[in-house]
Amino acid sequence: MSSAAPTGTGAGVSNNGGAATLLRVQDATMQFGGLTALTTFCLEVKAGDLQGLIGPNGAGKTTAFNVMTGVYRPTSGDIIVDGERVNGHLPHQVNRAGLARTFQNIRLFKDLSALDNIKVACLADDRPASSMFSRTRVNALRKQGNFVGARTLDAWGNYLDWWRALLTTSGFRADEERITERATRLLEVMGLQHRKDELARNLPYGEQRRLEISRALATSPKVLLLDEPAAGMNTREKSELMILIRKIRDDFKLGVLLIEHDMKLVMGICERITVLDHGETIASGTPAEVKNDKKVIEAYLGVESKELQA
Amino acid sequence: MSEFVQHIINGLASGTIYALVALGYTMVYGVLKLINFAHGDVMMVGVYVGYATSRQLERDTSQSFFGVTLIFLVAMMTCAALGFFIERFAYRPLREKPKLTALITAIGVSFFLSYSFQVETVVGGLTLLPGAAPKAFPEIIKPTEWLVIGDRDIVIWNWQVISIGIAAVLMTGLQYLVFKTRFGMAMRAVSFDHRTAGLMGIPVDKVISFTFMLGSALAAGAGILYAIKDTLVQPLMGVTLGLKAFVAAVIGGIGHVPGAVVGALALGLVEEFVVGYGSSTWRDAVAFGFLILVLLVRPEGIFGRMTAEKV
Amino acid sequence: MNGVLKGLLPFAVAIPLLWLAQFLTKDTPFLVILSLTVGVNITLAVSLNIVNGMTGQFSIGHAGFMAVGAYIAGVVSKMTSVYGISFLPEGVSDQVLYVVSLLAGASSAALFGFLVGLPSLRLKGDYLAIVTLGFGEIIRVFVQNTELFGKALGLSGVPQRTSLFSCFFVVVVVVVVARRIAASSHGRALLAIREDEVAAEAMGVNTTAYKVRAFVVASFFAGLAGGVFAHYQSIVAPSSFTYVKSMEIVVMVVAGGLGSTTGAIIAAVVLTLLPEALRSLFLNITGDGSIAQRVEQIRMPIYGLLLVIIMLVRPQGLFGTQEIWQVWPFRKRAKPASTTPGAP
Repeated sequence: MSSAAPTGTGAGVSNNGGAATLLRVQDATMQFGGLTALTTFCLEVKAGDLQGLIGPNGAGKTTAFNVMTGVYRPTSGDIIVDGERVNGHLPHQVNRAGLARTFQNIRLFKDLSALDNIKVACLADDRPASSMFSRTRVNALRKQGNFVGARTLDAWGNYLDWWRALLTTSGFRADEERITERATRLLEVMGLQHRKDELARNLPYGEQRRLEISRALATSPKVLLLDEPAAGMNTREKSELMILIRKIRDDFKLGVLLIEHDMKLVMGICERITVLDHGETIASGTPAEVKNDKKVIEAYLGVESKELQA
Repeated sequence: MSEFVQHIINGLASGTIYALVALGYTMVYGVLKLINFAHGDVMMVGVYVGYATSRQLERDTSQSFFGVTLIFLVAMMTCAALGFFIERFAYRPLREKPKLTALITAIGVSFFLSYSFQVETVVGGLTLLPGAAPKAFPEIIKPTEWLVIGDRDIVIWNWQVISIGIAAVLMTGLQYLVFKTRFGMAMRAVSFDHRTAGLMGIPVDKVISFTFMLGSALAAGAGILYAIKDTLVQPLMGVTLGLKAFVAAVIGGIGHVPGAVVGALALGLVEEFVVGYGSSTWRDAVAFGFLILVLLVRPEGIFGRMTAEKV
Repeated sequence: MNGVLKGLLPFAVAIPLLWLAQFLTKDTPFLVILSLTVGVNITLAVSLNIVNGMTGQFSIGHAGFMAVGAYIAGVVSKMTSVYGISFLPEGVSDQVLYVVSLLAGASSAALFGFLVGLPSLRLKGDYLAIVTLGFGEIIRVFVQNTELFGKALGLSGVPQRTSLFSCFFVVVVVVVVARRIAASSHGRALLAIREDEVAAEAMGVNTTAYKVRAFVVASFFAGLAGGVFAHYQSIVAPSSFTYVKSMEIVVMVVAGGLGSTTGAIIAAVVLTLLPEALRSLFLNITGDGSIAQRVEQIRMPIYGLLLVIIMLVRPQGLFGTQEIWQVWPFRKRAKPASTTPGAP
């Protein structure tokens, strides 16, 4: 993992000083016509980070996610994933660079089984590491800036993959077994092994959320973006989920960035919090710092305190 | 030079007819986000109704102002009813289903209409379905030269003027309806988001029904104008003309009312020039070539806006 | 290598069976012709299902690709049949040329699939329907204007080389290919696109590339079916590849269940044989040719009505997205679709 990381991408202000920066957003601005949904947004996520992105409704949190993951192309600014500039790339390319996400309104492949949902996402690792066309080699080429080389290698790999699948070579069977095994393991991580063959649409809500997270993990991300992973859950489920997220972060050595509405929850779990309001970053720091920030209280908690006064 | 001007006039005249059909596509797409594949076939039905009506009238009556108006009215009203039924029974039950379902249904309706009309059915001397053979559309408007410039360098026919006139009136009326009336406002609201519009107390079903009826009536009018020009009626005319009109709507930016008109005029002109300076056998390929070109260069159409799916 | 051998097993089983079938039917030309029509339709339906069923795109111009395959294969076959391959015995030379012309036709169709798919697959689904339809029309107009393809009269004198064996060998190939794609990571990527394109893209699936690939594979087999068709019809006319033909294939795929290969096969067989059966039934009962002829006419509106009714009553078609062995009633297996629907 560390060998794939780039050397020294500058020291950021994070409580995780030694680790490499995996995601850096620099002055990202997103305008829709006259509306500025995100203004000079900056963020840095390192391996092992667990950060929160909070803000009132319509503050631009999901826009920030969309900008980072390539759904929108930022009007200006840079998104750098593991040393690779990805703004303007398509979402699947951003995913390949190492950024995986979940969606606010769950977007599973509803008519596929839970296992197949994850197997789809196993594309990132679908060729054995020893293969000449392994994703590691493709990614390494791309990181050197050799985009043509990376694309050619991947295209040939893909071409051979089709033939291997059509002829069902033993290599293909081995790959399929490996993918199934990996997908099963990822289901177990999220405690969903008993739902293996169930269609995603038939899973209860909380399990759908968890399945979406394990699907994102299947793409072997370096940074995981979770868009309101605990939405619609009760307090107990929420805290269980947060423990799970922390465990994932440790086991997979990821950086995690999550959007969450529940302030208490975010404060309890995240080591660093960025607060957005009207597309602007109004505060950024440790939970303690943010909690006492005047602007945050005004913009976010202020609503509540006013309500209390009334 | 005069040949060029003549082509422009011919192109505009056929463009206005495309425009009237295209408006139906674009309005329905606006409120339902559905390509109503059956629209062209509804138009074809309208032409046959017009044909049948005119055959019932005396030759002199059918050529009188009253007769022509009657023919148009009967055809337009029948089609409005047909449009209503198609929406009510084929599309409405599928409104909340995946879009593909409605698209397949629309294709099915189109196929049903255009091919059932090819099955000649005569019951007790009454022709219920006309059969595949093309029929000559009666000369309800006798073609006369409206304006001749030079030594027949440029000829403007009366039906061209009438087409453009009727089309202009209908389009202005539609523009007024959509942007100046309460109903138009409701239509725009439904087009924006039919669920929210429903929550705001807008009778969504009624608005959609009426939009279908309006579009179908316009199509019937356009179809008769086309039949007057082309002098023929046949069951597959709806497929060809409908597709061309659809292409026009896409070129203008589907869902955009003036866009459909501009797209249709552009298509009429391009087609006329290809036929005029190239070969008439390529006529039917022009529209699609043009469409593919537009989709390559500006997929959202001339006036359309690219709508990104909300993530 | 062992894996490849195992992979070729279906062919090892199919080849002797097909030889046997060919031997048994050699005295019943009517049955052979009927079977060839069925075979071509199965190939078309199964290949279209890769695009319309597995990938969730909606192409309604499959006949256009079939036309490309038929015309190119026909022309290649016609031109080479004059020469033959000198060092081979005539029979072998014919078969080699037949295969070459089929491949030429199929590859050209695949190329067209790529050219049509690349711009339109970047767009929303309904546009693809229109573009494919338009493509079919353009092909038809093009053929009608080209001397080489015999203009409106069509290409005649294509050598009759299609046998029951070769036709159904193509069927076996397309079915095996479709099933194996479905069982591989490629197939899963296609299914993911059908389910949710945005999510598929976010999970690293290059959606445009996969859609184009599916389209190319489907066009290839449509072209192959066209080539096979050309080599038994002997006359390739533009009227064989109209909108009606495309719709016929769409109806088969929709009726069989979008995404179900076995469904497409069954629908193709039934919808090809049913009109034939009705036609001969009417002919035998009434002895009146005109009623039998009307069956052909009534077939079209019924297809249209069938589409509407299927969508209203059972939008998933015969088998939905599953294969026959997954829904076979005697097999006790949890039918996922029938379990209690989950929370939204």
